[in-house]
Amino acid sequence: MKVRSILNNQLINMSNDSDMDYSSEDNECEYDYYNTGVADVDIEQIDRKNMDSEYLEFKCLNVEEVEKLLNESVEHLSNTIHLMPSLAKVLLLEHSWQANEIIEKYNRNPNALLIRSRIKPHNAPARKPSSNEHMSSTSHQSSSQPVCSVCTSSQPSQNFFNLSCGHPFCKECWASHFETQINQGISTAIGCMASKCNVRVPEELVLSLLTKPNIRDKYQQFTFSDYVKSHPQLRFCPGANCQIIIQCKIMEPKKATCSSCNISFCFKCGSDYHAPTDCQVIKKWLTKCADDSETANYISAHTKDCPKCNICIEKNGGCNHMQCFSCRYDFCWMCMGDWKTHGSEYYECSRYKEYPNIANESVHAQAREALKKYLHYYERWENHSKSLQLEEQTLAAMRERINTKVMNGLGTWIDWQHLFNAAALLAKCRYTLQYTYPYAYFMEAGSRKDLFEYQQAQLEAEIENLSWKIERAETTDRGDLENQMDVSEKRRITLLTDFFQ
Amino acid sequence: MAALSRRIIKETVRLLQEPVPGISAVPDENNARYFHVIVTGPSDSPFEGGLFKLELFLPEDYPMSAPKVRFITKIYHPNIDRLGRICLDILKDKWSPALQIRTVLLSIQALLSAPNPDDPLANDVAELWKVSESEAIKNAKEWTQRYAMGN
Repeated sequence: MKVRSILNNQLINMSNDSDMDYSSEDNECEYDYYNTGVADVDIEQIDRKNMDSEYLEFKCLNVEEVEKLLNESVEHLSNTIHLMPSLAKVLLLEHSWQANEIIEKYNRNPNALLIRSRIKPHNAPARKPSSNEHMSSTSHQSSSQPVCSVCTSSQPSQNFFNLSCGHPFCKECWASHFETQINQGISTAIGCMASKCNVRVPEELVLSLLTKPNIRDKYQQFTFSDYVKSHPQLRFCPGANCQIIIQCKIMEPKKATCSSCNISFCFKCGSDYHAPTDCQVIKKWLTKCADDSETANYISAHTKDCPKCNICIEKNGGCNHMQCFSCRYDFCWMCMGDWKTHGSEYYECSRYKEYPNIANESVHAQAREALKKYLHYYERWENHSKSLQLEEQTLAAMRERINTKVMNGLGTWIDWQHLFNAAALLAKCRYTLQYTYPYAYFMEAGSRKDLFEYQQAQLEAEIENLSWKIERAETTDRGDLENQMDVSEKRRITLLTDFFQ
Repeated sequence: MAALSRRIIKETVRLLQEPVPGISAVPDENNARYFHVIVTGPSDSPFEGGLFKLELFLPEDYPMSAPKVRFITKIYHPNIDRLGRICLDILKDKWSPALQIRTVLLSIQALLSAPNPDDPLANDVAELWKVSESEAIKNAKEWTQRYAMGN
C-alpha cells in the first residue's frame, strides 16, 4: 500500500508537471493515472475511524484509574442531587451508571427511586427495637437491656445498630451476617437481616463492622467487581490473572486488545473476537459445537443410512456386502447400490458414484441432512482454526527459509521482511473467515445468504492464493504479493462492512 | 461457633415447651443440631390425616445460614421432589437470620396447604397439578394414604 501510494503521488506530480509540457497525445494515459492516484490518496487521508470499520477506540485502565473514574461519577451525582456519596454510588450501580436517568427519576419522585434501589424500606420504618415479632416474649421480659433477636443475648443498647428500616440487631450478629454473605459471593447486595426486609447495607457500615482483613479484602474486591460489571463502558480483561479493565465509550462487538496481557476479545460479550458473527449467534454456535461435534463426527465417519429403510448403520468390520439388519436389504457399502447388480465384483466396487438421492421425507434422511449441513460448516470452521493454531510453526518455517535465502545470497534479510506482514495479514483474513462460518450456518436461506456465501467463497479463494504465494515466494519482488494482500484485505472488509453497519 | 449457641438452646427449649400445633420437632439425642420432625397434614388439604416425617439440620453457621430440611416420608407435591427436597424461598435466597426453626416448619406446613405448581421442583407432579388438578389431588390423597398413614 505504502509503496504504491508513494508511486502514485509521484505520478500525480509528474502528470501535473507534464500538463504544461506535453501536448494532448498523452492525455488519455495521464487521465487514467490521475484518477486512480487521487482515489488512493483520498483513502489514506481519511482517518482510521471512518476507513476501518473494525476500528474500536478504547483505553486500558488499571484498578486505581477505574476507581478514580467511578468516584468522579459518584461525586458528580452526589453534588447534583445532594445525596450522600455512598447512596449516589448505590443509585449508579442500580442504574448502569446512567447519571442523567437517575437525576430525572430523582426529580420526579425521589422516594420511589430510593425504595426501588433498596435504600429506603418498602414500608414505614419499624418503630422500636422490640418491633420484630420473633422472640418477642423474651425480649420484653428482660427489663433494662434490649435483646438481639438473632443471637438472643441481651446487650447494652449502644451495641445495637439498625438501617433505615429500623430493624435493630447487635453488631456482632451484623458482622457475622456480612461474613456469611461475603463468603457466598454477595457484596453490594447484602441486605438487612430481618425477614422480608430488603434494605441494602451501605458499604461503609460493612467495612466499619468487619474486622478480619481477608474478609475485608474479599468484600472490597467483590464490590469493585460489581461496580465494573454494572458499568456499560467497562469490562474486565478476560486474560488469566489480568488486572486490566478496558474502557470503551460505545458498547460494540468489536475487537479490544489488552495492553498488558495482549489478549484480544469482543468488547461487547468478552469472548473471542467474532465478527461477522454476532454475540448471540457465536454463543449458540460454540454451545452447539461443544455439545454435538464429537458425536456428529463419529456418526459421519462411521455410519451410513440404509438406502432402503434409511436406518442408521455402523459398519464395524467385514466386507462391503451389507445386509440391513432391519429391512434385510442387500446393498454395497461403497456405492450404496443394490448388491444384486454387482454380480461378481466383490470387495471393491467400481461403481462408486455420487451418493444416490435417497427419499428426503424420512426422518433419518432429514437428520442426516441436518448433520451434513452442520458438519460442512463445522469442518471449515475447525480447519481455519487449526491453521491459525499452526501459525507459530508457519512463521518458524518462514524464518528458516529466509535464512537459507539470505545465506545463498538471494536478497538481504531486510528484503524478505515483507513476508511477515503478508503472514500477519493472512492470519487476520483467516480469522475473519473462520468466524463467517457460524454466521452462515445460522443464516436463513435466501438471496442474502447466497450473496454472503459468494463473498465468503471469494475471500476463501484469495486467502488460498495468498497462502500459496507466501509459501512459494522465490524472489524479493513483492509487487505480486502486495497486490494479492490488497485484494484479500478488500474481500475481508467487504464481508465485514455489512456486519458493522 | 463449634459450641452450641445460646440461640439454638433457646429455640430448642421453646419448641419442646410450647410446641406449634400440628408440628413436633425433637433434637436427636446424639446431635443437638439434628431434629426429628413430624408435620401433620393440614385439614382441607389432600395431605389431611397424614403424618409426615422430616429431618432438619442446623448448619454450623446457623442462624446466618438457613437450616437444611428434607421430607423423609414420600409425598406427592409439586414443590417437593422424589428425594424429599423442598422448594421454598425462605430455605434459600429469602432466608433471614431472624427466622427460626418454628417459622420454617410453619412455612412448610403452609406449603402443604397451598402447593405452587408454577415454581415446581417435581416437574411431572407440577405438570399434572396444572393440567388436571382433581387428578393430582387424587394422587396426593392416595400417596398420603399409602405412605403417611398406618405406622
